[in-house]
Amino acid sequence: MIKLENIWKVYQLGKVELTILKGIDLEIHPGNFVVILGPSGSGKSTLLYIIGLLDTPTKGRVFLEGRDTSWFSENELAQVRGKKIGFIFQQFNLLPNLNALENVMVPMVFQNIPEKERLARAEFLLSSVGLKERILHRPFELSGGEQQRIAIARALSNNPEVIVADEPTGNLDSTTGQKIMEILINLHKKEQKTIIVVTHDPQIADYSEEIVNIKDGQLISNHFVKEKVLWGK
Amino acid sequence: MLEEYFKMAIKNLRTRPLRSWLTILGIVMGIFLVMSMISLSEGLKQTVLTHLSAMGKDIILVIPGDISNILTSLIGGVNLTDDDLKAIEKTKGVEAVIPNVYKGEVMKYQGTSKNVILVGIDWRNYLKIYQEDLGFSLSEGDWPVGGRREIVVGSLVPQNVFPGLKIGTQAKIGGIQFEIVGILKSRGSRQDDSMVAIDLDIFREITGETKGAPEAAVKVENGFSPVEVAKNIKNNLTEISKRRIGETTPSFSVLTNEEVSGIVGNIMGVVQVAVVGFASIAIIVGGIGIMNTMYTSIRERTREIGILKAVGAKNSTITIIFLIESGIIGLVGGAGGVVLGLGLSKLIEFYTRSSASFYLKASISAGLVIFGLIFSFLVGCLSGFLPARSAAKLKPVDALRYE
Repeated sequence: MIKLENIWKVYQLGKVELTILKGIDLEIHPGNFVVILGPSGSGKSTLLYIIGLLDTPTKGRVFLEGRDTSWFSENELAQVRGKKIGFIFQQFNLLPNLNALENVMVPMVFQNIPEKERLARAEFLLSSVGLKERILHRPFELSGGEQQRIAIARALSNNPEVIVADEPTGNLDSTTGQKIMEILINLHKKEQKTIIVVTHDPQIADYSEEIVNIKDGQLISNHFVKEKVLWGK
Repeated sequence: MLEEYFKMAIKNLRTRPLRSWLTILGIVMGIFLVMSMISLSEGLKQTVLTHLSAMGKDIILVIPGDISNILTSLIGGVNLTDDDLKAIEKTKGVEAVIPNVYKGEVMKYQGTSKNVILVGIDWRNYLKIYQEDLGFSLSEGDWPVGGRREIVVGSLVPQNVFPGLKIGTQAKIGGIQFEIVGILKSRGSRQDDSMVAIDLDIFREITGETKGAPEAAVKVENGFSPVEVAKNIKNNLTEISKRRIGETTPSFSVLTNEEVSGIVGNIMGVVQVAVVGFASIAIIVGGIGIMNTMYTSIRERTREIGILKAVGAKNSTITIIFLIESGIIGLVGGAGGVVLGLGLSKLIEFYTRSSASFYLKASISAGLVIFGLIFSFLVGCLSGFLPARSAAKLKPVDALRYE
């Protein structure tokens, strides 16, 4: 379980203080599909980065499986990010010098997984997102949708419990975006991964079990959607 | 895992080939200078020391002028006078005084005239000392007989000066006909190996240098300490120079074999330090080049660093990847510099071998090559350290948001 306790994030811009998050409390239960919804500038991405341990709050605490992460060293944070959390970004954020296969293998290098195993898993993950034929292509040779699928495969490489996605369909057309969402839904359904998606698109929220609404750095509402249409499809 | 980091580093370098090669070129120049300078100065030192080691332990050199002020003795053209030579001879413990006399003269051999270094040797009295203590030995022919018009030549004369020169043939020096009777074995110095040696008296006759000598070698009698005898010689020389009226007191350098080797070693050491010091400046410039490239690279790859951190790279991992990159730049530059530097040294050696008076040997050892490579790798790592650390310290979220 991920638990956020009174999270504040303040940026100092010269003499001006900019408060992005204003005391957010949130609990995300294992296996949930959560959508954090809010207009741009609401602080939702900052919140996601804090949940994903890519950023630290100015005030407040983040608990991961009951452990207070504010005491984690940089190395421990890197270790947790690599092992337990998979990231998907709006800009895909693939390494441009590496091909699809190598991009998916990178997180496994940092977990000391032997090369043979890395290769087999990366090939498996890329074929499961439908990119079996494109594994030796470099990002610039692929479409946005394909790049995002590589990013999903990379997020899954160390078999993390949590997948965090920052506007995963933001740079894609609606059909491709829908396909990406279907992959995430499948992951949730078949592998019971905890999935946290940040978006400003209310349509994406339709896919989720739990919707967290954020505005001006504050939690407006947090409600569970009882019956999901898509689950049944 | 290091292997994987290596692969990543090489991929990164290959992504920006022009910049990588230009940075490498900076290091190549630095190492190239250091390698050629070290190899040549070490070669020079070894040549001089080998030459000196041919000299016996009980030989003392007497040179007019103060050795610590080498310029005055080199330019001054001060000679030891006959009185000086006599004073040396009278010193207790001196077995023999051998004046070292030499002069550039024209030698005519089978229709060709060339300038040679003519040396006057007292064969009659001192042949044994030349053989036993001054490292003279024949590779061909016989020693000349004292007083006769006979020539012995250095090992390089039949090769370079008069190619095909043979024993039993005739040559003319200063209008006098000589017979070539012997060829010496190499003594390790180009100057000695290019000499033409004739009888001392005939030398004085031809050159007109009838008095004194530019320097003298002293053979110490058995049972006397060279250090002690050298001290006495110096005292005697100073004594007689004081007696001369109207002359300023000249100074003398009286050096045992050990002292000479020590002085030469020291001078060469200083030369080497100076030379390497200057060449190091080139390496520092190369190192700054690496630093600049790495900082630029980190700026460009800030986002990539953020991605690596997001997928589990520790700070130390980022540092290692960047250090490997700068280390590779250093190492490749070093390898290029070593090859070019040692190549140039060999070229200079080859050139001086076939040219006239000066022979410079390149000293190339496995140690020097390894030193060059390790040194350049370390320069690379050191220059890359600060940029690598600043890359590692980037906050993942800031790096990811960097545009």
